[in-house]
Amino acid sequence: MKIVAVTACPTGIAHTYMAAARLEKIAKTLGYEIKVETQGAMGIENKLTENDIRQAQIAIFAVDIAVEERERFNGVKVIQVPLQEALKDPHSIFAKIQR
Amino acid sequence: MTQRAGTSLEFAFVCTLSDGLHARPASHLAEAANDFVSECFLTNLRTGSVANLKSVLAIISADVRQGDQCTVQVRGSDEQAAHAALFRFVEQALPGCDVPLAGIGLTSANGTLPRALRAAEMKCCFGSPVSSGIGQGKVVLLGGVTLPTGLNEPVVTDPETELGQIKRAIASVRSRIREKLTRQKSSTEIAVLQADLAIASDVSFAQKLTENVSQGRSAGQAVMEAGEFFMNLLRRSDSEYIRERALDVEEICLQLLEEIYGVDLVTSPIELREPSIVVAETLAPQQLLGLDRRWLRALVLEYSGATSHAVILARSLGIPTLVGVKNARPQLAAGQEVVVDAIRGFIVTQVSPAVQRFYEREQRTLALRREFLPVQTTGPAITADGKTLEVAANASSYEELSLAFENGADGIGLFRTEMAFLHRDCAPSEEEQFAIYSEAARIATGRPVIIRTFDLGGDKVAPYLNLPAEGNPFLGYRGVRIYAEHRELLQAQLRAILRASAFGNVPIMVPMISSLDEVLRFKEEISEAKQDLARAGIAFQQHIRIGVMIEVPSSGFILDQLCAEVDFFSLGTNDLNQYFLAVDRDNTKLAKLSNVLHPGFLRFLRKIVHDIHEAGKWVGMCGEMAAEIRHLPLLVGLGLDEISLPAAEIPQFKRAISQLSAIDCERTLDRVIACRDKIELEALLEQAQPSWSTQPLLSKELVLLGSESNNKEEAIQEIVDAFYIAGRTGDRQRLEEALWSREAVYSTGLGYGFAAPHCKTEAVIADSIGVLKLKQAIDWGSVDREPVTMIILIAMREPQLANRHMQVFSKLARKLMSEDFRGHLLAVENAHDMATYLARQLDISLH
Repeated sequence: MKIVAVTACPTGIAHTYMAAARLEKIAKTLGYEIKVETQGAMGIENKLTENDIRQAQIAIFAVDIAVEERERFNGVKVIQVPLQEALKDPHSIFAKIQR
Repeated sequence: MTQRAGTSLEFAFVCTLSDGLHARPASHLAEAANDFVSECFLTNLRTGSVANLKSVLAIISADVRQGDQCTVQVRGSDEQAAHAALFRFVEQALPGCDVPLAGIGLTSANGTLPRALRAAEMKCCFGSPVSSGIGQGKVVLLGGVTLPTGLNEPVVTDPETELGQIKRAIASVRSRIREKLTRQKSSTEIAVLQADLAIASDVSFAQKLTENVSQGRSAGQAVMEAGEFFMNLLRRSDSEYIRERALDVEEICLQLLEEIYGVDLVTSPIELREPSIVVAETLAPQQLLGLDRRWLRALVLEYSGATSHAVILARSLGIPTLVGVKNARPQLAAGQEVVVDAIRGFIVTQVSPAVQRFYEREQRTLALRREFLPVQTTGPAITADGKTLEVAANASSYEELSLAFENGADGIGLFRTEMAFLHRDCAPSEEEQFAIYSEAARIATGRPVIIRTFDLGGDKVAPYLNLPAEGNPFLGYRGVRIYAEHRELLQAQLRAILRASAFGNVPIMVPMISSLDEVLRFKEEISEAKQDLARAGIAFQQHIRIGVMIEVPSSGFILDQLCAEVDFFSLGTNDLNQYFLAVDRDNTKLAKLSNVLHPGFLRFLRKIVHDIHEAGKWVGMCGEMAAEIRHLPLLVGLGLDEISLPAAEIPQFKRAISQLSAIDCERTLDRVIACRDKIELEALLEQAQPSWSTQPLLSKELVLLGSESNNKEEAIQEIVDAFYIAGRTGDRQRLEEALWSREAVYSTGLGYGFAAPHCKTEAVIADSIGVLKLKQAIDWGSVDREPVTMIILIAMREPQLANRHMQVFSKLARKLMSEDFRGHLLAVENAHDMATYLARQLDISLH
């Protein structure tokens, strides 16, 4: 399964990247292919292309603020959780996907 | 409604003032009544009390509240006129006497308390810090009617006897004042004595004393309580005049107590015997100098503006000082242990163990910061684009000079000489002054010590000069203006300075110059002193430099003429600003108007510097404006040759100068001068502050291992303090608050015993990473609910042009998710290894 994700936190200095690292790692152990876009103090990085999004079965938003360019995800199934979930209990997010 | 009652004229009115006839309206009413010879009385129909309308004390104690019905009776030769005037006053002017005054500009420095203190739930009262520092000690109340310890507790006999004692005391105090009055010639002294006599004869005061005695008080207690009662009433006033009357009441009470107890209370000086915090309403420079500085830890003043001379002196002596502490004296008890935080602007009135711990850390932090800063600041201050700006110190005694040079002063930009003239009965001799100036020259070893000739008058009164009382002393007989009358004094001082010039570099500067004529006259005096010395064969520096202090605006418009006569100038911005803006700098109600950043004032300064440089002469600045580091871009932009400020500030100024570009500062000044409002101006000034962008992200000073902090508040404070010591922040409170406001969103505890607090803030001078490793794990509200032992703090400087460190921060954040990385961090034993490991992992330099 292919997953796309976006992480974003209020200051965009630390948690955006911590959450991204965490999601990437868990996805890998679960055998998913994942691409995580970070929306932090540097702006959008590792940007999800139209192609990435089209190919993904699901999008995870681990965010505390509004996702930029949200319209890219129109028509995609989105699971949105507070960013802290990605640090606290990332497995539960992936469990939601399997459901 | 006017009628003739008996033989007097009478009218009635209802008090509409929301606070009743308190001190301020009462003083106006008394003032109006005192214009007439007729007897004027006020009757409060609610209480039946009758007050002499000519006595403020009496009116206040009539306790007239809002809605009270009152009558005014007038009787005497000019009763018609008095009646008409008082009636008009009560109808028309009185209601306006109570218009709420505009907010007073002074506020506490940072408003909020540090978290660690907030967590300690301490009790405190706030004020404005005007001389930075921390002081802990026992409260000593200056003023207020208290008996010195050691006197026997008064024994209460019967009211008759006690009252008899009071009456005898009053009679004797009055006759003593009258006797003094006959001998006194000075109008100031006479006015003071008359005020004392008025209080000693005040009917209401006598009534209060009788009342107290009849309630079973001893004579002494009755006096103290009556004194406190009236002083409290008077102190509430916004009028300086009325507040001063409280001091008169105090004086009379002390005299009465002396009579009653047969001891000397008034003349015994305040003796400090242990670490002390002196709390007073206001303080004269002489009083401050009379305090034993070995024990004086801090000053707390209820009133007094930020630039009064006592405050300037306190700053120069490094005494932590708070002003504008409302009702400090009623709130603080003599002997109570307190901490004065003159960095943040409050007094901690209950020193709990947590507070004690906080301030022990604080003292260590301040000491470490002082140690760390000078290392980077020896040598001249040169801007990033190569312009040199001398940084000198202001001083009032030669004892301060060593400290100034230790702090890296390039010279003494203002050596005040008034200290030797104040607080004594006769003027200092030439020899005495020579000893001071030659010692200063010797300590300075060739560096300039600009000696300003005596600037007396204004609030600096030397009794032996017999200066007249003035309605407007700051616009009056002071500085150079009194030299003609006190030529001998001036000659003695000039000879002393000239003789000292044989031992070092001591330029002479003259205060309060407003015209060319005064300069010419002053130069003649110097020539004469030189001739005297030459005749006597005494050595001096023939070409001693002569300078003018620019503090009267008119001098700023005749610089072409002045430059032809003297060698240098120094901007005395305190007086220059108050004269330029017509704002009394000691009037707290005008604090908002007293503004050295007024565009008009900045334009004026720029013109002055321009004119002086045009003529090839040198100009420095020694006023308070130069002492605020925030102003530095403007000072550099003005192109001054020198700034002179309190010694302790020099290291950070020198460091900041090296980070500024003179060309950028000129542009900043141009833009600031064109500003139309304060917000825009502040933003420009903020942007112009040095950023130290060349600082490395991480240095070993920012790595603290083995921390003993025992909660989140202390841990954050400890890293913030480390930033402060290393010079990465000048505003700890703001940095701390930025971190806490991020914590408020949700905890930065990321699990595994790690926390990564972070913020974007203007309060750091550069992007920085700090590390704190704790001995004991503490709660951080982490996602896994586990306590933390390792804290990695990221502070990003805002605003910044390029997010050049974001790559590093995001790499660090990602790495913190790696078990391997965390394991390494936990295993590292010392700060150097930690910094090195992090630098390698993040691919950054430590230099």
